[in-house]
This record gives sequence, C-alpha cells and structure tokens, in this order.
Amino acid sequence: MKVFCVIPAYYEEKNIAKVIQKVLDYVDFLVVIDDGSKDQTYNEAIKIKSEKLKVLKHPINLGQGASLQTGNEYAIQQGADIIIHFDADGQFLAEEIKKVVNPIIEEKADIVFGSRFLEIKSDIPRFKKNIIMPMAKIFNYVFFGIKTSDPQSGFRAMKAEIAKKIKIENNRMAHCTEILAKAHKHKLKIKEVPITVLYEEFGQKFSGGLKIIKDLIFKKISN
Amino acid sequence: MIQQVIAIIILLFFVVKLGREWKKKSISLNEFIFWLVFWLIGVLIIAFIKPIDQIVMNLGFSSSGINLVFYLAVLFLFYLIFRMRIRMVKLEKDITDLSRKITLK
Repeated sequence: MKVFCVIPAYYEEKNIAKVIQKVLDYVDFLVVIDDGSKDQTYNEAIKIKSEKLKVLKHPINLGQGASLQTGNEYAIQQGADIIIHFDADGQFLAEEIKKVVNPIIEEKADIVFGSRFLEIKSDIPRFKKNIIMPMAKIFNYVFFGIKTSDPQSGFRAMKAEIAKKIKIENNRMAHCTEILAKAHKHKLKIKEVPITVLYEEFGQKFSGGLKIIKDLIFKKISN
Repeated sequence: MIQQVIAIIILLFFVVKLGREWKKKSISLNEFIFWLVFWLIGVLIIAFIKPIDQIVMNLGFSSSGINLVFYLAVLFLFYLIFRMRIRMVKLEKDITDLSRKITLK
C-alpha cells in the first residue's frame, strides 16, 4: 500500500525541514505544499534531496484547506492508496503516523482522525480545551450531526478513494468540519485514535473559531 | 423644499459621475442603465415625496414616505452585499481552481 503524506506549509521556514525529515521515515511519499509563503519555506523544503519528496508551491496564498486539496489531487494522480494530512509546524509526532494509518491497513476504517482528547497526553491550553473545543463540538453536532472528540484535528488519514469523494471546498480552516461532515454524509467507517500534540503557542484563537463558523455558513449559502 | 432641492442636486451629482464612468468605459452598458434608472427613481421619489407620503399613509404605514424609502434602501443594500458575497465566493473558487491547475502542471 502506497502511503502518501500531505503537508501544507505557510511561513514555516524554521520548522519545515525538520518536519520533512521526520515524516519521510514513516511514509512512502511526501508532498509539501507551500501555500504562497513569501519567506524561505519553499527553498528550505527543496534543500532536502529525496526521491520520496515533492515540493509544490501555490502561486498565491489560498489557505490550508486548499493546500490539502492540492496535495490530495497530487497524491491521487501519483497512485496513492492512503493519504495522510499532517501539519508543518512540528505539533504532531511523526512516529504516530503508524497509529493513524493502521486502522485503514487493517480494514477497520475508511478514514481515521487523530484526537487530542482521547488520552490526556497533550498539554492543551485551558481556554482552548474548556471553551473553544466544547463550542466547536456543539456547533458540529447541532449543524452537521457530527459527534467527535476532536472537531479541529489536522492529523488524519484516509483511503485515496475516499479523498476522491471528499473534495475539500473550504479553503481555510473550516475544512476540518467539512471533512468530518462529508465523512458522515458518505457513511464512511470512521475511527478516532489518540494522538499527542506539542503546543508551543496558543494556536487557533477564539476569533479563528468564529471565522470558521462564518466560512461554513457562507459556503452552505453559496452552494 | 430646500432639503428636496439639495437631495436632488446630490443625486444628480451621482448621475454625472455615472456618466463620466460610462464615458471612460469603466462600466458596462447594463450597469450604466441599472444605476441611471436607480438614481432617477431616487430623484422622482424625492420630487414627489408628498404624494408618496399620502400613498404610504393610505397603505396603512404609520411612518412617512421618506422613512419607508430608507427602509427599502437598507433592504436593497443588504441584498447587494449578499449578492457581492456570493460573487466573491465564486471568484475565490475560480482563483483556487486556476492556482491549483498551475501548481499541479
């Protein structure tokens, strides 16, 4: 099974090389999408010489959701069987890729979401854990009928055939909810596995959460 | 009376600006006609505000004609914002598709 990893990167010149080197050990192929950064993200990524690595660059900044979709399309073109989404900021542990991919290899799931809340390993900021995440959970349940322990996790894996069905249309951060909603809509076998997240800074802010809600509503209206 | 004259002068100023934009070819004929009709309706409403007041009262509204015009104008503005938002979403989608095509080429 060809396991592809997609890493969207935006202004990640400090982290990208480290993350690529760590992830390459656990996947068959890695696609990095520089989302129109004006810093050295692209140059840092292409410095790493590996046949397993492809670095693409958006001509303008489109957003994380758009970068993931570009990565999905590239992976599908190259014959991927499983596609992993991973962050470029070094928050996730590359050694946990196996844990996220295994349920798909064992045919126990079509799509697997990494969850920060299934085991208390991650040092999640209190405001995020107690205010933002519960609100996101309620929003997802009320508007999309989704029950999940971690509504905004960026670490996930899916069968490539599923990536063909789930076309990410929300360019920015609302893609997490969109992927969850489409996975439920297509009645896929969904599994959550515990993952570790290393928090160096606060991450998604309250205003970011409101922006996600706004994006989801407008996407719904305009479709 | 003086307020009506001032309001009509302001609207005519918009009509002149519109004519200039049309001359510079920066707007299409359809757009020019739409806005011309829009401003001229505004001029007519202001010129005949008294009869409109009467019509509004006859329709059972408690407010004056000018208030009703404001309410309608606000509704119209909301509608325009909504239309623009939809258009922006479509444009964003087109830009995304184009950028992706360039990236994957």
